Amino acid sequence: MRKFLRAVFLVDLLRGLWVTFRHQHPRNIQTEQYPAQRPKVAERYRGAPRLNINPENGETLCISCNLCALACPENLIVVGWVRDEQTKRKVLTTFTYDVSRCMFCGLCEDACPVDALELTQDFELAMYSREGAIWDRQMLEEGPRPTRYRY
Amino acid sequence: MADEQKPQPKPPAGTTAHAAPKPPAVMATTVWESDLTRQLQARFGNQILEFSSYLGQEFLVAKPEAVAPILEFLKLEADFDYLVDVTAVHYPQRPEQFDLVYVIYSFSRNQRIRVKARIADGYKPRTAIGVHPTANWLEREVFDMFGIEFEGHPDMRRILLPEEWQGHPLRKELSITQQDSLWVKENLGIDSAQ
Amino acid sequence: MPDSTFLDATELVLNMGPQHPSTHGVLRVILKLDGEKVIGTECVIGYLHRGVEKIGENRTYQMFAPYVDRMDYVAAVSNGLGYCLAVEKLLSVEAPPRAQAVRVILTELNRIASHQVWLGTHALDIGALTPVFYTFREREEILNIFEKYCGARLTTHAFRIGGLQYEIYEGFEEDVKKFCDTALPKFDDYEELLTENRIWGSRLKGVGILTAEDCKAYGVTGPLLRAAGVKWDIRKAMPYSGYEKYDFEIPTRQNGDTYDRYMVRMQEMRQSVRIIRQAVEGIPSGPIMAKVPKVIKPPVGEVYVSIEAPKGELGYFIVSDGSTQPYRVRVRPPSFVNLQSLDKMARGALVADVVAIIGTIDIVLGEVDR
Repeated sequence: MRKFLRAVFLVDLLRGLWVTFRHQHPRNIQTEQYPAQRPKVAERYRGAPRLNINPENGETLCISCNLCALACPENLIVVGWVRDEQTKRKVLTTFTYDVSRCMFCGLCEDACPVDALELTQDFELAMYSREGAIWDRQMLEEGPRPTRYRY
Repeated sequence: MADEQKPQPKPPAGTTAHAAPKPPAVMATTVWESDLTRQLQARFGNQILEFSSYLGQEFLVAKPEAVAPILEFLKLEADFDYLVDVTAVHYPQRPEQFDLVYVIYSFSRNQRIRVKARIADGYKPRTAIGVHPTANWLEREVFDMFGIEFEGHPDMRRILLPEEWQGHPLRKELSITQQDSLWVKENLGIDSAQ
Repeated sequence: MPDSTFLDATELVLNMGPQHPSTHGVLRVILKLDGEKVIGTECVIGYLHRGVEKIGENRTYQMFAPYVDRMDYVAAVSNGLGYCLAVEKLLSVEAPPRAQAVRVILTELNRIASHQVWLGTHALDIGALTPVFYTFREREEILNIFEKYCGARLTTHAFRIGGLQYEIYEGFEEDVKKFCDTALPKFDDYEELLTENRIWGSRLKGVGILTAEDCKAYGVTGPLLRAAGVKWDIRKAMPYSGYEKYDFEIPTRQNGDTYDRYMVRMQEMRQSVRIIRQAVEGIPSGPIMAKVPKVIKPPVGEVYVSIEAPKGELGYFIVSDGSTQPYRVRVRPPSFVNLQSLDKMARGALVADVVAIIGTIDIVLGEVDR
């Protein structure tokens, strides 16, 4: 009898409907209004790469050890260097990074011994043409450039 | 440099003379002995070439014709009722180029063993579908990737690659950049950067 | 179901093409129909084939780990765990206990996330539009934890060979505990929406029955096998990464139909929360990486290691020839082997049931095609 009443009065369907109505309360709203509200990205997020600069003297931190190029699964980093005559150290000249083939695995960031190459929190990497994906040293050092929208 | 009188080709100058060219490294296996191996030995005799175990995982190497009977025996008598995987490995330097590997598991014994066979290029092993229906797609994939046809398979076609694809990709002679280079040369006229 | 009359003289061949909202990816199913009843199916796969096994032969062991995530992209952490366990077995090293505990936590979180994707999309195929929003909203919490830990939400590359790369972040334990506390009431919500619902029951009960003998014959593992009554789980049968220390049950059901698989996966999510609670109580202190050389050159040999991925038994068969690159990497994908049973399950069902059956096998085409 109880089962019959539950079936006739659609009890199971109404209970499900009540769950849905409970979620109509404004505190349960989860939608982020992107791009007005940017998501909070974690510190360890593997986004666009950046070459860090020593804040004191403005020189690059990279020592041209080529470990990042050796660690990359896709072989898309090309490091150019010359050897300085006086100090007998390597000096970085060009650094090319192909973002179109990068899978953002983080192996280059792990391999860098001086924390010069870092993957930042920039995830908005859409570009209009494929040529814009090969980043040279200047673009890498500038860092992420998220577009600011004006409403 | 050739102080020792050995009938070997003279090593190039600058290297120390070896006694003999170093043999290729092989798997450091240990012998596997158990009731199961004795049963198999009694039943199949010299058709099983070795029983070994490496890192705690047991496997046996059999002659190619004996693989299907061994799988049937293992399923009916020894309760190995679950075929986990069928795969192959390509060793181009060996005369018998392919290593066909069947991994089987028994629920009741909680034991997993491998049945291997060394087959030559062009040999058609018998299919395991009669014993384990799982082998249907797995053998199609082995055919697709390596070119090993299975005799008695109801539907021996390519499964992952399109029907009209030429070649068998996981063979060692096909390099990984071959597809890319061919397409780029044909369509763009330059050498591929890969 | 009326028998065929003089009106339906031919069989109809219908193509559920690669672009279809219900096939969970690029899967093409060619249905031979007699009216609305299915008399035969044929699956055409390979639209997402990327040659991962060939790539494996041309990358070093550490370099190959990011590629492994991209096969079963919904449960990337499990894929990484299987690969790292296989290479560690080749090298005969074992990850330290702290790394094992964190690995278990992340893998079980990933299992919950994968089952939530499954539940959302399966319900969406059947026609219930609400659960997908709720499951994806809860999944955000898990993906936030992954992002804070290793830097990526979906293709995580969380584990390294020998242990972990990153130490757990400040607040990891609080986040995980908060997730466990809020998760169980949410699972109750899903059950409230679906389990007793008469529409859900009549769509799923009795559809796609696969008995235990069929499962073993077709090599089907995972929740499909457990729904048919076989109490088998690799985490209990051949434990890895410290699973023997945790106390959990293996949910099984009797009938082997789609409704039972739904119940098994809901129970598995609750058991995963149980495991996570136990693991996060006492994460042992210590190193997170075992002594593994920088250049990994395992000795010549081959090994087959399998884990219980959310979809079934995921196995890695790695052949090493002593150099820095593996000689052969073979991935035994659970979705590929489970998809073979589609033909068996769909015979005699209606077209709408085919959609339910494809959803219940829980395939991810990245894994089927590799």
